[in-house]
Amino acid sequence: MRGAKGKILAALFASCVLMLLASWPAGAGENDAQRLLTAVDDNLWSNTKTITGRLIIDNGRRERVLTWEVWMEGVERSFSHYLSPPREKGTKMLKIEDKLWLYTPRTDRKILIAGHLMRQSMFGSDLSYEDMMEDKKLSRAYRASLEPCAASEEAPCAVLYLLALDEGTTYHSRRLWVDPEKKIVRRQELYAKSGKLLKTVDFLDYRPIGQRLFPKKMVFRDRLKENTKTTYVFDSIEFDVSIPEGTFSQLQLKR
Amino acid sequence: MGMILRIAWKNFYRQGTRAILNVIITGLTMVAVVFNISLYNGFQAQATRNMVRTDVGGGHYRLPGFDILTPTEWEDRTFQMPVALKGADPADSAEVLVQQGQIFPRRRLYPVQLRGMDMRQTLIDVPLDRLRAWDEKSTGDQLPAILGTKMAERAKLGTGDTVVLKWRDRLGVVDARDLLIVDVVPIINPRIDEGVVWLRLDHLREITRRAGEVSWVAVSGPRGPVPGVEFQSPEMLMEDILHIIETDRRYAKIFWAILIFLAGIGVFNTQILNVFRRQKEIGTLMAMGMTPRQIVTLFTLEGSLAAFLSVFAALVLGTAIFSWFQSVGLDVSHLSESSIPVRERVLLKIRPHEVVQTGLAIVAIMVLVSWLPVRRISRLDPTLALRGRGIT
Repeated sequence: MRGAKGKILAALFASCVLMLLASWPAGAGENDAQRLLTAVDDNLWSNTKTITGRLIIDNGRRERVLTWEVWMEGVERSFSHYLSPPREKGTKMLKIEDKLWLYTPRTDRKILIAGHLMRQSMFGSDLSYEDMMEDKKLSRAYRASLEPCAASEEAPCAVLYLLALDEGTTYHSRRLWVDPEKKIVRRQELYAKSGKLLKTVDFLDYRPIGQRLFPKKMVFRDRLKENTKTTYVFDSIEFDVSIPEGTFSQLQLKR
Repeated sequence: MGMILRIAWKNFYRQGTRAILNVIITGLTMVAVVFNISLYNGFQAQATRNMVRTDVGGGHYRLPGFDILTPTEWEDRTFQMPVALKGADPADSAEVLVQQGQIFPRRRLYPVQLRGMDMRQTLIDVPLDRLRAWDEKSTGDQLPAILGTKMAERAKLGTGDTVVLKWRDRLGVVDARDLLIVDVVPIINPRIDEGVVWLRLDHLREITRRAGEVSWVAVSGPRGPVPGVEFQSPEMLMEDILHIIETDRRYAKIFWAILIFLAGIGVFNTQILNVFRRQKEIGTLMAMGMTPRQIVTLFTLEGSLAAFLSVFAALVLGTAIFSWFQSVGLDVSHLSESSIPVRERVLLKIRPHEVVQTGLAIVAIMVLVSWLPVRRISRLDPTLALRGRGIT
C-alpha cells in the first residue's frame, strides 16, 4: 500500500517538474525582462530627489535654454521653478498626482493644466505636459518582453519591448535599449498604437551618484517632426534628500 | 398752388447746370446708398446660404456647451446618436464627429480638425464623392481623406500625397497613421476648409474608438426636444457671422450719412444763394401780394424739385448700374483668407421696401435742407428786399 502511494506521489512530482520545465523558457524570459525593467526603474527613481539643470529646446530654427530646479517626491509630487531666461523666469509648476498647476509671473495667475491642455507642448518643446507628468514607473505600466539585440548594438545589450497593461496608457508600446549589467537605459522609443515610431529618448553620459548611475543628459526627439529636439541636462542631482515641508503646496507657486 | 408750382418749375429750369448737377448728385447718392444696402443684403444672403448648405443645415442637435471654437473640449462633448434622431431620411439628417488631430506635412506640425461625415447623408453639401466611393469598409494602413483647396495649399498637399496623421482615441492613447489624400475639392465655406481634414465617419469612429458617437447631428429642421441634447437654430449657429455683418452695416451708415450730407450741402448752398441773390424778386413778389408763406413755399419747392427729379435720375442710373453689376458681381476672393463664408462673387439683393424707404428718406432730407435756408424770407422787410438790402 505504502509502495503504491509512493509511486503515485513520485508520478505527481515528476509530472509537476515536467510541466514546470515545459513552461520555464517563456515565463523565465518574461520574468527576466520584467525584473530588468524593475531594476532600471529602481535605478532612475528614488523616494526624493532635487535636480538643478537646463532644458534646451531646439525647434530646428532657434535654440532656447531654460534653467530650472526641481524637487521630486516619488513619482506623484514635484515642484519645479524656472530661473531663466527672463521670459520664463519665475515660472513655477506644481504636480500633485494627476494635477498640474502652472504659475507665470507675467500674468500673476496660477492655472490648472487639466484635460486636453495636458496634451499641449510644454514651452514649445517636444514634450507635452503629459509627458512631463508621467507618474507611473514603467515596470508598473507595461509588460516587458526581451527582444534580440542587433549586432551593431554596443554590448552588453538587452532590448525590452514594453506593451501597456492598461488600454488607456498614452503610449501603447515602447522599446528600451538597456545595459543589463549596469541596469541603465541607453535609449527609449515610444510608439503609437499602430506601431508608428513617435518619439525617441536618448539617455547620455551616465555618471555615478551615490549608489546609482544617472544620465547627465536626456535627449527627446519627436520623430514626426524634422530637426527638433529637447534636451534635459542635469547639472546637479541629489537623491533621498529631505524636502522642506510645504514645498508641494499651491502657496509655493506665488511665493 | 398750381401757380406756385409753375413758377417753381420755371425758376428751377432756369438754374440750368446747377439744377442738373443737384439732380445728378442726389440721384447718385440714392443709387450709392441703395447699392450699399443691397450689397450687404447680397453678402449676408450668400454667406448664410453657404453656411446652411455646407455646415449648418436647418440646425444642429448638440450637447449643451459644445463650441467648435474650443478644440480642447471636442473630445469631451460627444454623445451617442440619440434614438429619437436615428433612422431619419439621409436628406434630413447628417451625423458629424469632430476630433483634434495633427498632421506633419514636410515633417512640420499642423494642428487640424478631423471631421468625420456620414457618407449616406445628402443634407450637407460638401463634395466628398471620392470618400463616398472608397471601397474599403475598414481602415487599412492608409486612411483616406479629402482636403479643401485652401487647406491643401497651406499644407502643400495634393491628391495622391500621403502625410502622417496623429490623434488620440477615446481613452487618450496616441495613434498615428498615414493619411492618403484622395481628393482636393473647392469648398465655398472657408470655415470648413482651412484646418479641416475630411474623413468618413465610420473611419473616424473606428480609429478613435468612438462607435456610434457624434459631435452634432445636423437636421433639416427641428425635431422637438431630444433628451440630453439641445437644438441650436441656424441663427444661433451663425450668430457670429450675422453679428459681423450687422456691425459692418452700422459702420456703413456713417458712409451713407456722409453721402447724403454732401448731396444736401449742394441743395442747401443753392438755396442760400437763391435767397441772397434774388432779394429784389422776393420783394417784388411781396409787393404784388404774395404772402411770405407762399414765397417760402415757392422757394422750398424750387429746391425740392431737385430731390423729386433725382428719384427719376436714380431709377435710370440705378437700373443701368445695377444691371451691369449683377452681370459681373463683386469679387471677394480676398476674403477667403478670413473666416467669412463667401468665396464666389457677391451679387446685389435688392429689397423693394428698402429702395422706397431710402428714396423717401433722401427726398425728405432734401426738402428739409431746401426749407431751412428760405425760412428767413418770412422775416424780410419788403421795402428793404426790393432794394436788395433785406439780407446783408
